Amino acid sequence: MKVKISPLKKLILMGAVLPLGVVSANEITQQEFTQLKSDILQLKKDKSRRSVAHLSGYGSVGYSDTEDNDGSFSQLQFAPIFHYQIDDRIMLEAELEIEDEDSGETEVKLEYLTIDVVLGNNAILVAGKFLSPIGQFRQNIHPSWINKLPSAPPGFGHGGAAPVSETGAQVRGGFYLSNQQFNYAVYYGNGPQIDVEVETEAGESEEIEIHDVENEGFISDLNGEKSWGGRLGWLPLPKVEIGLSYMGGQADTEFVLLSGGVETEVKESSDITVYGADFVAQVDSFTLRGEYIKQELDHVGAGGLETGSPEWKTFYLQGSYRFSGTGWEAVTRYTDFDSPKDSSDVTQWALGVNYLITENAMVKVAYEVNDGERDSAADKNKALVQLAYGF
Amino acid sequence: MKQLIQIGLVILLGSVGASSAFAASEKDDMEQFARGAQKWSNTCMRCHNMRDPQEFSDQEWRPVIMHMRIRAGLTGQDAEDILAFMQKSNN
Repeated sequence: MKVKISPLKKLILMGAVLPLGVVSANEITQQEFTQLKSDILQLKKDKSRRSVAHLSGYGSVGYSDTEDNDGSFSQLQFAPIFHYQIDDRIMLEAELEIEDEDSGETEVKLEYLTIDVVLGNNAILVAGKFLSPIGQFRQNIHPSWINKLPSAPPGFGHGGAAPVSETGAQVRGGFYLSNQQFNYAVYYGNGPQIDVEVETEAGESEEIEIHDVENEGFISDLNGEKSWGGRLGWLPLPKVEIGLSYMGGQADTEFVLLSGGVETEVKESSDITVYGADFVAQVDSFTLRGEYIKQELDHVGAGGLETGSPEWKTFYLQGSYRFSGTGWEAVTRYTDFDSPKDSSDVTQWALGVNYLITENAMVKVAYEVNDGERDSAADKNKALVQLAYGF
Repeated sequence: MKQLIQIGLVILLGSVGASSAFAASEKDDMEQFARGAQKWSNTCMRCHNMRDPQEFSDQEWRPVIMHMRIRAGLTGQDAEDILAFMQKSNN
């Protein structure tokens, strides 16, 4: 007697009996078996195509006490990261940076917003505003639950030597060559802007002074000239990575010149070059990492006035040790930051002790010994306590 | 009788085929799990402390690993191996 079984029932039946290696032969032929197996695999594949929304990020609170100043509870920071994965090939991700300022106002900034499209096994297109791939600290180490000290090394923040972010398009990924692992990132974007100040006397512009270069993912490009750059990382051993970075292009600026009491708006550009080298090495519970960034700017000139060719350099070396079987961690970092602005230059030793409540939540206590221009803010030592949590 | 022999043969063939298919699949899964564990151990710690696989569900691990694929410059295969490891370790 023949019993008719609907395709759905066949599928359920197959799902139930296949694990036991038993197939009812009454109605299911080998051809049907192959077809049903294909259907099951297709269903599994479809599951991976489901879209998923996910909230991640980090937050930190802290206390800082600077030499010759009263201490205060500070460093309130909340950085939610939104992921919306449409399938296994496309994802939208965005991070907000929400911080309280001294004035009591809350500042909200878009740290990055990208749409990521998988191009293949070795490449992903990352389009939008993204963290600069120059070096390691800005793109991977700066979140407070990852950074082992409560502060960023001097020169790796806003107005420092290391680019912060970029708006444009980036291709990045990894590959193997002769059994050696490599990763890479190349990008093309709007490029940085130069913050300049024009000194004026008796209705005449006397001097153009460059304050700093802002590498912060601008959505405007004053001169239409783009910047490009990237990083190549090599892993000679599984827990050792060495990276080289480069950025080239043009940085833009606009300012007003005064001549005979008449104002003229000026848009100027300057060649900019950034070089970087970084490494990280791990041996058991000891991690050593370091990074060097040098940023060079050609001159800015207009109306017969001309700036010099400033450069920014920063270098840090950090060692950390996790005491085996405990949540205690010791860390020390040496940084040397040199810029055209003497009052910002600093040589810093930072010493810290961390207690990891969980792997992604920790208390950090640190003391910074700062050696900068006499009586400048950069010269003041600082004690910091921070509670950081990554989720 | 003839029908009974046919049924028996189909059951036998089906059982052997399904068993070897599942055995091969299980072996592949175990190899991927081992590769994923190795990659997880080597890659994540270069930047941050290890995150517990149980922190996220199977679905939640997908965007997290995609994010890490971009950040760490992983190949698609390495990311898939780590994802498989996290999804099998979060029960």
